[in-house]
Amino acid sequence: MTDETQSTAQTTLSGDVPVHSPGAAQVAPKSGGVAYLVGLAAWILPGLGHALLKMWGRAVACFLTVGVLVVIGAGMRGNLFNANGGDAFATLGYIADVGTGSFYLLAKSLEVDGPDVSRADGDYGTRFLAAAGVLNLLAALHAYEAARGRKA
Amino acid sequence: MTFELSHFQAMFLFALGISIAFGFLSRRPALERLKYIGWSLLLFLVIGIGIGWLMYPFSR
Repeated sequence: MTDETQSTAQTTLSGDVPVHSPGAAQVAPKSGGVAYLVGLAAWILPGLGHALLKMWGRAVACFLTVGVLVVIGAGMRGNLFNANGGDAFATLGYIADVGTGSFYLLAKSLEVDGPDVSRADGDYGTRFLAAAGVLNLLAALHAYEAARGRKA
Repeated sequence: MTFELSHFQAMFLFALGISIAFGFLSRRPALERLKYIGWSLLLFLVIGIGIGWLMYPFSR
């Protein structure tokens, strides 16, 4: 049986369509500890996890997207939640905000006048900051999965 | 540094950022990424403006 027919047989037996196209480059699977470190690095500095895996396009895209969303959100004077928020929504907001990693501190330093959610701009800014955090958490999870060899 | 953006500008920037990130994370070939980003951005805007118009009768 040739390689091609073996591959077809495997696809048919498993019943699944292959996740990765044959030409797609894939990172060699790393151990669990290394993959955790890649995920942690991706959370601390957006894009760093993908950069460690030499996925340069994704690294730049993550860094710029999360960075721009944080800068705009802070510039619109969005609410940046603290650890001691007091209720469940504030805690969820804090988890989302802190998802930006080190950019949480950047947003703190940019918001010299504090948040102002009395205007629509401030309310939108709050969503920008939360979306940036959730997006970075998603990117960190992607970097972890890529390090384990489960994503191309 | 303070930004004063209109509703549409804020929505457009948000949609653009999310679309680019999703496109880069979920697709690998450049053309596939571009198509994904374009479609995602378009749907964000069309659905956003559509929901805005749907809410118009209740805005006053």
